[in-house]
Amino acid sequence: MSDRDNAVEQTEPGDGEGKYVYCIVRNDRSREFGEIGIGGGARVYTVNHNDLAAVVSDTPIVIYDPTRENVLAHEFVNETVMREFTLIPMSFGTVFRSENDVLALLKSTYQAFTDVLDKMQDKIEFGLKILWDRDKVVAAIERENDEIRRLKEEITRNAASSTYFARMQLGRLVEAAMEEASNRYVTDIHEQLKDVSVASRSNKVIGDRMILNAAFLVDRNTEKPFDEKVKEISRQYEDLLTFKYTGPWPPYNFVNIKLKLEKAT
Amino acid sequence: MGLLTNILLAPFLGPVWGTRWTLEKVDRVVKEELTDDTPVKEELMELQLKLEMGEIDDAEYTRRETELMQRLREVRDWREKLGMSTSGGPVRVAESDETE
Repeated sequence: MSDRDNAVEQTEPGDGEGKYVYCIVRNDRSREFGEIGIGGGARVYTVNHNDLAAVVSDTPIVIYDPTRENVLAHEFVNETVMREFTLIPMSFGTVFRSENDVLALLKSTYQAFTDVLDKMQDKIEFGLKILWDRDKVVAAIERENDEIRRLKEEITRNAASSTYFARMQLGRLVEAAMEEASNRYVTDIHEQLKDVSVASRSNKVIGDRMILNAAFLVDRNTEKPFDEKVKEISRQYEDLLTFKYTGPWPPYNFVNIKLKLEKAT
Repeated sequence: MGLLTNILLAPFLGPVWGTRWTLEKVDRVVKEELTDDTPVKEELMELQLKLEMGEIDDAEYTRRETELMQRLREVRDWREKLGMSTSGGPVRVAESDETE
């Protein structure tokens, strides 16, 4: 079985087909999305209940590791579906044992899915990660901050005699100024994007160079102004910051339905 | 029996009590480390960012991803062994009638 490289056999092998669920959309007819599914191009289609549809592909009953390959397959299906539909993304790796179990999900969560689909109608998400170049920010701080500049010059001038204390003090001043600068940049960027987005969410930063890891919910109608604004901001800060701008995504960070799911044994 | 007993017995009780406390604490810390996949997931995100920023190449990414997947599986195994909840694997709608 070719899935073995990317997935862990969960129970007895060859024990029938499960359904991998990518997302929920509103559509009262069945649809095909092509052979783009997880696990090497499985056929992606819908399981329908009234006007709701779960976008699924057949899968062995396995636990999918969040490898880049698997995650990209999951995201690619959602991107494809998103071109035509407003969707509620499912968590990576959600597998049901049978079509009936998927139908049970659609039936039991019908109202919540419907409400969220209404709310998310024509909304898309963009990701914005901002990293700074420490050296450049320090240089900028030294240019702008008289106290730090003077102290540094003093230490450099009297290299031999400058005290440990003076160096410590400089370090502390720089640290504080950097934190202040980071907050100032982030506040300014949020402020500038406020008018062209519906909502935003800040996630935990990744690594030690990132100062912002945010998701923005944007109306499809204001996609272009949002896009232009991000580009404008990245030009404003191009000497100091690196912008990593991604999307459009399904509203991964703005849909929060607690599904009452349990392990199927 | 009062203060004196404690003092007299201290050399015997003290270290024993101390050791057990330490072992329990170590046990707890180890258990938390074995069953928490947050650090692994954070490393994975950092790795992905490095790939996207062009700081590492595909080969390096794949090599380290394999290690991290192994660690994720180990965490999952430990959680299962200790009867904790795990993510992944087949799910179904919970059969309960409690309201939110």
